[in-house]
Amino acid sequence: MTRIVIDPLTRIEGHLKIEVEVENGKVVDAWSAGMMARGWEVLLKDRDPRDAPYLSSRVCGVCEGVHTVASAQALDHAFGAEIPEAGRIMRNLFCSGLYMHDHFIHFYVLSALDYLDIMAVASYNGSDPGLRALRDKIAALAKNKDTSPFTPRYKLDEFCVTDPETVTTLVSHYVKAVEMKAKSSKMLNIICGIQPNPATIMAGGCTATPSVEELREFRTLWEEQLDFVENVYLKDVIAVGTGPLLPLALNGFGGDMNPDYHGNYMCYPMFPQDNPASEADYSFGGSNHLVKGGVIFNTQLNATGAVDYGKITESVTTSWYDYPAGVDNLHPSEGLTKFNPNKPGAYSFIKAPRYDGQPMEVGPLARGLVNQFPELMDLINAGAKPGAIARHFCRAIESRDVGRAGLAWIDRLIELASKGPIVGMNDKKVPRSARGMGVWDAPRGALGHWIEIEDHRIKNYQLVVPSTWNASPRDEKSVRGTYEQALIGTPVPDVDNPINLVRIIRSFDPCLACAIHLIDPETNDIKVYKVA
Amino acid sequence: MRDFLFPTIELTRRDFLKVAGGAAALLGLSQALTPQMAKALEESIGKPAVIWLEGQDCTGCSESFVNSLEPVTTSILLNSISLRYHETLMAASGYHAEGARQETIKQEKGKYILVIEGSIPLAEDGKYCVIAGAPFKEIVRETAADAAAIICVGSCATYGGIPRSGPTDAVGYLFRGTQKHHEYDDVTGNKPVVNLPTCPVHPERLVATIVHYLTFGTIPPLDHFLRPKAFYGFNQHDNCERRGQFEAGRFVTDWGDPSQQGYCLYMKGCRGPVANQDCWKRRWNQRTNYCIKANTPCVACSEPEFFEWFSPVYERQYDISVPGIGRVDIDKVAASVAGATAAGIGVHMLASHIKGKRDDSSADTEPKTEAKES
Repeated sequence: MTRIVIDPLTRIEGHLKIEVEVENGKVVDAWSAGMMARGWEVLLKDRDPRDAPYLSSRVCGVCEGVHTVASAQALDHAFGAEIPEAGRIMRNLFCSGLYMHDHFIHFYVLSALDYLDIMAVASYNGSDPGLRALRDKIAALAKNKDTSPFTPRYKLDEFCVTDPETVTTLVSHYVKAVEMKAKSSKMLNIICGIQPNPATIMAGGCTATPSVEELREFRTLWEEQLDFVENVYLKDVIAVGTGPLLPLALNGFGGDMNPDYHGNYMCYPMFPQDNPASEADYSFGGSNHLVKGGVIFNTQLNATGAVDYGKITESVTTSWYDYPAGVDNLHPSEGLTKFNPNKPGAYSFIKAPRYDGQPMEVGPLARGLVNQFPELMDLINAGAKPGAIARHFCRAIESRDVGRAGLAWIDRLIELASKGPIVGMNDKKVPRSARGMGVWDAPRGALGHWIEIEDHRIKNYQLVVPSTWNASPRDEKSVRGTYEQALIGTPVPDVDNPINLVRIIRSFDPCLACAIHLIDPETNDIKVYKVA
Repeated sequence: MRDFLFPTIELTRRDFLKVAGGAAALLGLSQALTPQMAKALEESIGKPAVIWLEGQDCTGCSESFVNSLEPVTTSILLNSISLRYHETLMAASGYHAEGARQETIKQEKGKYILVIEGSIPLAEDGKYCVIAGAPFKEIVRETAADAAAIICVGSCATYGGIPRSGPTDAVGYLFRGTQKHHEYDDVTGNKPVVNLPTCPVHPERLVATIVHYLTFGTIPPLDHFLRPKAFYGFNQHDNCERRGQFEAGRFVTDWGDPSQQGYCLYMKGCRGPVANQDCWKRRWNQRTNYCIKANTPCVACSEPEFFEWFSPVYERQYDISVPGIGRVDIDKVAASVAGATAAGIGVHMLASHIKGKRDDSSADTEPKTEAKES
């Protein structure tokens, strides 16, 4: 029995620690722990409710937009504000633009380094001038023994791509992706004022007033993003996923490979297509949303149910929080955030959310299965199983889909702007007391904000965010969370090189930071490994 | 392979000159220094090692740095600095990551730049942020001890930012809000510390600070919060493109009213009068836009009072700070100025009124009546 501790697990957002126990070359148990807390829900208490979207955008600087929108929707709901069409479209555009760059950055910058032998670039001898320049650059860096941040890294294994042409092409796409991300921010800034961390989205809509000229520029930049998604990112994912990584796709690596994996998936509806017909459809019905919400249990892909938001609970049995005596779990609308970093038996700052008492996987794969993305279904029908590769696949597909949907939204916005000044806000007063809920399916999965207002102030504010679902620790029944279950059964042929663990965790695109040490349980010594 | 896919990785002499010229302009330096700065960038004297620590952060400042287009961030990473530790970008994980940090501290002792992103929680002995088994506050201490210079990016690393409002006693590297906390005095010594507050950090301000350091081995002149004067020596309100609307008493009171578009955002809580930065000139994301231009109030995220003392952010404030006068209650003053109201009078006129001077250049206009919301 060897215990492996990964702290910090890098190339994710935030601070996460992963511990596993390995026996006979396979993971037999796992613990996922969030290692940083700021007390966001605590600091929102007693504030003016209108502060919430502004603060929510700072919960995470990577997926800031979706937090802002979910928070604004919770306020819309509480204030009884109907959003003007322009406001709704700008929110949709903001989230879909974010989706595109968030996904390709995740693939190239955060994930690809786990599958590439980056030093193969030095052996490139093709004729492409761009790739030759890249080769010379990397070779010069290697000669000066300074290849950070690409090194140090884990040792290569059989799933690493080593063909110089492929690697060099992918590394050049890595470089291009960073540039495209900066261009995406420039584009989104036209409607949000500052990127990252938008300023314009708040209760009642979006305050931005872009002109026709600005929107035409927006469209041009959008087309360039979509071009990159369709012709570079999607093609790369398909090539890698059905080529060198096909064995991992077929055995459900990081998912169904573990026979005991829960196979529960959930997503919320997003991208409303018109104003809701009724309150029930307002922020969480889904009948008029581009992406539908739903739940799947136990990998029964043909039995998708509707999401019942009343069935969401959070437990803190193994988290550094206290609930009142005798209370095991609470609905977020009644949620409680009371820190106790010295609680015995606790190991994480993450609460344990459950739907109908079950842990759920949220994120691109859940959206793909609930909405039955045709390409995903083709892949599954060809023998692939839900897991890490399918997650990457779904990201690329949906980036293309929301990118295409965005063009029609931009055109509609241009039409509105050419009739007169754009008005995206329905300015409402803060009610004396009200409750509200806002949901959106962030790039990383199901995101919900719950607010309770009393005497014009926030009485209670609770967020249940995607990585809380996925990185959840054990609950009061000792049922493991999603990362923990996904890791079990993972082959770790060499405990000094736990590359498979980080591949699986990164396939979820976590939003907290983590790290890896290796501990010898016999002596409890932490082994230090020299990087070759 | 299509043309547009050629990555911009190898900077030309012209690119270096462009970046250096931009940085010189940004820092208020003579353009005569441009060739020298370009040379420093190009040769990247020793390509200094950088350790980038993230504490109670949201990764927004890293995202903002990656948003640099001129120069593209990857070219900075490949040509100008050697990024040895950055949790979000580096290839290594766990032990290799931690090892890279330790090794840099040893090998580059006294030569590396430390960048801090996110606040530092001091409560409960630092239990609210633990990386690789160590409290973040100790990681900062250990890394700062042998750094050549320390750059705090964003309001969290500068003053504690938004987390300062929470229960974890979150502070910046030197400041807890407006006050110094002296937690790191022993390891700071005489090291240069630069604060680059705003939420998130502005990539141009960061790149220009690095270019200055690469060229001269020093940091640009700073104000009392250790912010480069070249970026933070300007008042937003005094330079605002909507200042004329303020003077004329035209305010946004209803975002849903198209006739109010372009009016002053003071009644919507704009903190421009107390915000010191150059956003009005620099804008964001390649000079595309910034909060006020996008029709939202400035929240003065460059200031130590952000966010705790500026909340609620969309509620007008009732007193205004006037340089040389201190805080002024705009309504009280207005009531004492016969026939004028706050809405129809500029702050400078109020200030001169208090000073007992006359200033006939401000025009009085009929004030709009505005209902205070909620």
